[in-house]
Amino acid sequence: MKRRSIFYGLLAASVLGAAVPQNAFAIVSDEDFNAVKTMLQQLSEKVKKLEQDHDRDQQLHKEDQQKIEQLQQDLGQTQQIATNAVAKAEAAAMSPAAQAMAGPGATHQFQLVGDAETIFGRIPGQHSGFAFADFAPIFLYRANENILFEAGFDFTLANNAPAAAGTSYGFDLSFATLDYFLNDYVTVVAGNMILPLGTYNERGAGWLNKIPDNPMPRGLLPGNGVGLQLRGAVPLNPGGASLTYSIYGVNGPSSFDGTGNSGSLDLGGNVGILSGATSLPRQYGYGLPGTTFSSVGNLHSDPSAGGRIGLFYPFKPHYDVELGISGQAGEWNDLGQLWSAVVADAAVHIGPAIELKGEYINTWVDTSDLGNIRPNGWWVQGGFKLSGLSLELPIINNIELVGRYDQANDGLVPATNSERYTAGFVYYFSNTLLFEGDYEWLHSTGPNAGVFPSNELLFQISYGF
Amino acid sequence: MKREQQGLNTTELKLLASKKQNMNQLTSSPNAWLARLGAAAVAAALYATPSCFVQASDTEKPADTKVAQAKTDKKEAVKPKKEEKKKLTGAELYSIHCNRCHPERYPTEWTAAQWKTLMLHMRVRANVPADQAKAISKYLQEEAGN
Repeated sequence: MKRRSIFYGLLAASVLGAAVPQNAFAIVSDEDFNAVKTMLQQLSEKVKKLEQDHDRDQQLHKEDQQKIEQLQQDLGQTQQIATNAVAKAEAAAMSPAAQAMAGPGATHQFQLVGDAETIFGRIPGQHSGFAFADFAPIFLYRANENILFEAGFDFTLANNAPAAAGTSYGFDLSFATLDYFLNDYVTVVAGNMILPLGTYNERGAGWLNKIPDNPMPRGLLPGNGVGLQLRGAVPLNPGGASLTYSIYGVNGPSSFDGTGNSGSLDLGGNVGILSGATSLPRQYGYGLPGTTFSSVGNLHSDPSAGGRIGLFYPFKPHYDVELGISGQAGEWNDLGQLWSAVVADAAVHIGPAIELKGEYINTWVDTSDLGNIRPNGWWVQGGFKLSGLSLELPIINNIELVGRYDQANDGLVPATNSERYTAGFVYYFSNTLLFEGDYEWLHSTGPNAGVFPSNELLFQISYGF
Repeated sequence: MKREQQGLNTTELKLLASKKQNMNQLTSSPNAWLARLGAAAVAAALYATPSCFVQASDTEKPADTKVAQAKTDKKEAVKPKKEEKKKLTGAELYSIHCNRCHPERYPTEWTAAQWKTLMLHMRVRANVPADQAKAISKYLQEEAGN
């Protein structure tokens, strides 16, 4: 028993001796103790610093939270204001006054459009000067979906030079028609209408034409007429091609004095007054200088008939071709003599920069003194916008170079023939404000060559509104 | 349908006879074989087309009807898409027509009501087809200024 106790005692002592680490029994030096102490102090300071940083971060976070809440409040208020504004706008749009302003629902609408020009001329043998001013408003009145009334006026002021001193003032009713849209294919036009002989007449407003004056052979045709017209267009394909037509009856040209002499033809005489009016030459009006237009009588009882048929074929935007043929025929005097005309027109657009157009005009006039005469002429005009060069230069890009050749023959015996070359430019200040400059070389032969102006330098400012 | 079938067959026979006559005339020409082939193709087409109609109407089975209907539906479903694809927008028509005579005006230059009046004016002056004028007018009114 004692031996067993001794054995267990020794065993326990050996186990304890093995379990207790040796350093537990080692002696800690002062240096080590101080090092540990210093380390502990440093750690304590670091912890303290971290705690301070944490407190500061928490403070910043709290401030940020407050700012975010403030911003959210502001955003909410802004949204509320916007919502209120939208609601107010919608309410305003629903009001009768706003509907009247917006207009689509309104039946009636009155509108003023048109153009204005002034021309500065430099002609050899004359002083340079502003030769012409024109204000040409067009009044449009839409009565409803099917009825439109339109009237165009010309207020003009022209120098009388070289014939006389001073200036002359003119007021002209270019057209005044009632348009009734019978259906998608027929529109009835009644009144004093611009005649669709060719296309120039309907597209020759000052800011549309790229050269200040008209092609000479246009003077062989009447500009407008009083009567009735049916016109419209039939679409040919989904690409925009269409067949266009116009057919009309108007009073037609007349005789100044009731005779059938060649010099008595009055292209503008379409009102039934027999006498007592005067006529004035149009310097910058329709065509040939010396051609007279007046409101003097319709010295015959039979109206003229005419029309145009055209084909417009666009390949894509800015690429299109238009071809047309038109004509008019009817008596022009009490003798029953006929005046008739045929016009072939063409226009081509090759991209946004290139345009070509022209007309061939042939007329036949039965006269008492010269028999059947055949005044005729043609013109062709081209334009090239320098923006087509893609030079990216602002001034250059606003310029369009233009050129025209026009020729007219009065058909008399012997005939006077005139031909003219024109070169110039158009500067586009905007899409509606144009500055044009052109030089014209004119050459005439024949007994009436003297009535034509010589070479001219013309500038024009035009504005479309 | 039977009357139409008879009529078509008569026409076919006449056309075939005509073609045959023409073929006889062309026998001696250098392109006789080409002419024969062409005439045969035309005759086959003329024969096949009405026959298809007759068979489809007189002898169609329900299953065939469904297939034919499905084909028709498919054609009709495809056809409008092609037309829609070809149809020009108001903006495109605006570019096509307005540039013919003058620089384009900005849609915001006038109000919707003013554009409506202006497009009536231009429809007359430029002879713009009614449906195209309406499409342009709609575009301009949508883009109009206040």
